[in-house]
Amino acid sequence: MLSYIVKRFGMGVLTIWFIATATFVAMHLVPGNPLAQEKAVNPVIRANLEKQYGLDKPVTTQYIIYITNMLHGDFGISYTQENRFVKDIISEHFPVSAELGLLSLFFATLGGVLFGAITALSRNRWPDHLIMVFVILGVSVPNFVFAALGQLLILKLNGWTGTTILPIAGWDGFGSMLMPSLVLGLSTMAYLTRLMRATMLEVAGTDYIRTARAKGLSTTRIFLSHQLRNAIMPVITVLGPAIAIITTGGFVVESVFTIPGLGRYFVQAVQQLDYTVIMGTTVFFGAFLVLMVIVADILYGFVDPRIRVEAGR
Amino acid sequence: MTSFTPKPEDFALLAQRPSLHHLQRPSMSYWQDAWRRLRRDPKASVSLYLIIALFMITLFGPLLWRVEPAREDLDVISYPPGLRIPALIVTDPVQWPGVHADPAALVPADPNSTQSLAATTTIRVEGEATTQYVRLTWQPVAGAATYLVYRNDHTPEAAGDLGLPLFQTLSAEELSFEDRLQLKPQDYWYTVIASDGVEEASVVTTMKVPVQRALTVSQARERGLDATPGQIVSLGAHPFGTDTLGRDILARVMQGGRVSLFIGIVAPLLFVFMGTVYGGISGYFGGTIDAVMMRVTDFLVALPFLLFMILFRIAFGIGPGESGIVPMMIALVLLSWENTARLVRGQVLQLREEAYVQAALLLGAKPLYLIFRHMIPNTIGPLLVNLTFSIPMAIFTEAFLSFIGMGVAPPTSSWGSMSNDGIKTMVNTPHELLFPALFISVTVLAFNLLGDGLRDALDSRMRSRE
Amino acid sequence: MSSEVVLAVDNLAVEFATWGGSVQAVRDVSFKLHKGTTLAIVGESGCGKSVTVQSLLGLIPMPPGRITAGSARLRGEELLGLGAKALNRYRGKRIGMIFQDAMSALNPTMTIGDQIAETLIVHTGMSAAAARQEVITLLGQVQIPEPERRMRQYPFEFSGGMLQRAMIALSIACQPEVLIADEPTTALDVTIQAQILQLLESLQKSHGLSIILITHDLGVVARMAQEVAVMYAGQIVEQGSVDDIFYRSAHPYTLGLKAAMPGKAAHKAQLQVIPGSPPDLFAPPAGCGFHARCPHVMQLCESNAPPLFGTTHQARCWLHHAAAPVHPLRQQLIASSGS
Ligand SMILES: Nc1ncnc2c1ncn2[C@@H]1O[C@H](COP(=O)(O)OP(=O)(O)O)[C@@H](O)[C@H]1O
Ligand SMILES: [Mg+2]
Repeated sequence: MLSYIVKRFGMGVLTIWFIATATFVAMHLVPGNPLAQEKAVNPVIRANLEKQYGLDKPVTTQYIIYITNMLHGDFGISYTQENRFVKDIISEHFPVSAELGLLSLFFATLGGVLFGAITALSRNRWPDHLIMVFVILGVSVPNFVFAALGQLLILKLNGWTGTTILPIAGWDGFGSMLMPSLVLGLSTMAYLTRLMRATMLEVAGTDYIRTARAKGLSTTRIFLSHQLRNAIMPVITVLGPAIAIITTGGFVVESVFTIPGLGRYFVQAVQQLDYTVIMGTTVFFGAFLVLMVIVADILYGFVDPRIRVEAGR
Repeated sequence: MTSFTPKPEDFALLAQRPSLHHLQRPSMSYWQDAWRRLRRDPKASVSLYLIIALFMITLFGPLLWRVEPAREDLDVISYPPGLRIPALIVTDPVQWPGVHADPAALVPADPNSTQSLAATTTIRVEGEATTQYVRLTWQPVAGAATYLVYRNDHTPEAAGDLGLPLFQTLSAEELSFEDRLQLKPQDYWYTVIASDGVEEASVVTTMKVPVQRALTVSQARERGLDATPGQIVSLGAHPFGTDTLGRDILARVMQGGRVSLFIGIVAPLLFVFMGTVYGGISGYFGGTIDAVMMRVTDFLVALPFLLFMILFRIAFGIGPGESGIVPMMIALVLLSWENTARLVRGQVLQLREEAYVQAALLLGAKPLYLIFRHMIPNTIGPLLVNLTFSIPMAIFTEAFLSFIGMGVAPPTSSWGSMSNDGIKTMVNTPHELLFPALFISVTVLAFNLLGDGLRDALDSRMRSRE
Repeated sequence: MSSEVVLAVDNLAVEFATWGGSVQAVRDVSFKLHKGTTLAIVGESGCGKSVTVQSLLGLIPMPPGRITAGSARLRGEELLGLGAKALNRYRGKRIGMIFQDAMSALNPTMTIGDQIAETLIVHTGMSAAAARQEVITLLGQVQIPEPERRMRQYPFEFSGGMLQRAMIALSIACQPEVLIADEPTTALDVTIQAQILQLLESLQKSHGLSIILITHDLGVVARMAQEVAVMYAGQIVEQGSVDDIFYRSAHPYTLGLKAAMPGKAAHKAQLQVIPGSPPDLFAPPAGCGFHARCPHVMQLCESNAPPLFGTTHQARCWLHHAAAPVHPLRQQLIASSGS
């Protein structure tokens, strides 16, 4: 198992390096190099840039400086704000995004597994049809629409009751987290429900479920100890990629609900062309996603004996 | 069978007809069969019609609905869906002198008084309250030094909910105010508060004023409308309403649909093609070439896709607010082909082992010829499904990028950018978000359902179940 | 031969509702299983062997499957039409079942030991620890070496032959009276096949098992069975003792099967293949299911279904009708009735 984890992390580090290099190439080697120093208007920032990135040196040197800095956790300085370090921006805003993302991942997984199991168990009856209608809506409606609807709903709720049941925006306490994380988790929940339904049905049709029935096990026992466990496994494998979807979805939800997360900051940076912040956050988000995929893989390795035992050898 | 008693002649021997049973069911080609089953799937058929209808609307709709999508009409801003927009014709406004009190008649502020000021009584609207202007007058309050005017666009929810501070009079004599600030045809709540220069009155009077849409005579003439003051004219139909600049949403939805659907279809076509070529080559050659090529796709998957799309645009020097359909397409194509490549590679690897391909190889067929003659046609089914599911993804990506301002930008519009505009005003005029969002959703829904149907129809496992 | 009947199946009919209509997978199947003996069911794949035995324990997917007629009694107790709860008193406890592909028939994410212990715990109320001990004994009985270690392993760590042994241990764990083995050796290579058959034989002796053995290999039939039922297109077309079937075949299809048997035909120049293919079960022919492939087809075969002729040795063929032209096959049925 340990060697499996080590190998997985080795691949991860390589991937992160690839992301960092791709980002560097995109920002430096493309015509109209946005990092060309004369583009920075503010002389203080220009001086900072020059110092930080060695912009007057050849590209290979710049690359080495860039990678070395990054290894030290230094993502540079903001391009538009004096004396703002990208790493400070990240450490200030990322926890909010992580909270939002994890909460919505929790909702998405819980709902996905639950609804998926319900649809599969009530196949072709009304609960199945009803949930599947919501699922297909969930994957077809863009998340900013859900965000808007969610906000509108809060607004109406507060209007009807005349008090503030939930805050409309901001990030302060569980009340303010509820709607954004539900909205953010919705499409992932729909996707997981669909996946869970498919795997549940697939498992239900397998020979080993037939064997379990031939053994004389009760339906509940078959469901709990044979069907559910095998059906959840594919769901675990997609949790890593699901975090990617939730992260990018977070950009929109954070913007709509004015949540001070890194996603919203990223969107602002994009709109203000804060190149260094964009670069830093891209690499950071990339590294984060790679890490999450690895975590999901390792988790899967623990659940699936085929991988656990093979890796143990 | 028990009632049957055979006669001797029934036992005459017959010649064998071994192929009899083969004739019982008609044989159908793969595609005919798939098509038949697709048509029998109600969700898929409806989706297919929906998609055709969407194409018709975006392609030919503008020929029928001849409203310029970019034309701004500031007289009908954020108008809800409607076929008639009534407007009152009023005379061109002349300078309004306002109402001034006789200074002598005013009760001056008493510096020793501890009593707070009274509420302004009887606010009155002079003339008609129209979108051209709202003229307010009120009675003086004893001890007032100045008056403040507030305007609220919704029913006040709490005591202090006064809305927008519009104006403060320069003196106590001034007892009127003319509001010409972005008036919309809706109800407003005006509040006038007396103030002694330091403190405002604690009791206030609020008046609800319904404002009527109006055009001045000269504006009406410009539009070629009947310009008789007092007349009610119709400003033309906006079935989907108008946006914050008074542009017709129906026309914009049709025009934006062209952009969204163009990106949504052309980009997947391109990257599916690219993935097919890549996967075909990788799978066909196998071995080291395959291993290297697949490792490259591994890295590609790990890229945070949307972040790189944004990076791409920025690297191309396209900032926010600049339209960039082409860079968006390039980014989409360069970053999305990996899925298809894996699919095709898998299929090709499998097909390579099949007898007829081996036979063709033995007969000296050239690799490229083989790929195109045998392998690609055999993978066309899964590819079609892949393409169908890629379209919603591309449409979503466009919408997302346009939503954060990195997609298309004015004057071009897309459903995504329209949604972005609409979301800002969704509380008061939800239709501005509703229509573009509805079109995105319906399109994506239709392609998703069609993809599901296609996959089922092309699945040979289900075929054998029948 | 012992005359004590353990399991009696009468006029069983099963159909599947599918997109294209209903499939008559099993039609009017009757047989008896005697204590301590082996009944073999043979036939081409797709002829309804598995559906027949699985419907006894309600293991066919329902829907689309539906048992439309018939009865199945285990020592006089009716099995068909029981609810899942009632059936669970028989499943695994009084009737054990072995499936063809042991790799897919065992849960890939559960250890072999747990899977066997599970059925013990459910049926006998054993404690987990006692069940574990019992599993070790069982694995020893089916000759799996190092049972303590093996029971903690997962199916993917077993070879095909070992898996089938584990499957057998699972099916006999609760000492059932009847063991249904659905093509237990088809997926295995020849030497392993022989070992598994030997194991089944010895278990039959030691446990007094009555076995229904499904196979399409006449060699296996000859070795294991006392009674044989030949199925074709959802029906039993011939049924009798193993000698009846091998030496006094009374149905053209059985003759065809025998001719296609590799062992017997090895010295001949080539294997015989029965021409044509089985009929479409969507719309079974009104007459004999085999008529289109039959070398002896007669006028009436096409539209009149033959009944089963004979008593202990039965065949579903018009050639046995009193009015039929004299044919060598007919003598076979008469010969065995006499004996
Ligand atoms: N789940 C099912 N749905 C539809 N038809 C089925 C199903 N299971 C079996 N059948 C039909 O029943 C027939 C007999 O199948 P089976 O008993 O598995 O054959 P075999 O003799 O090879 O064991 C098959 O030809 C098939 O058409
Ligand atoms: Mg079978």
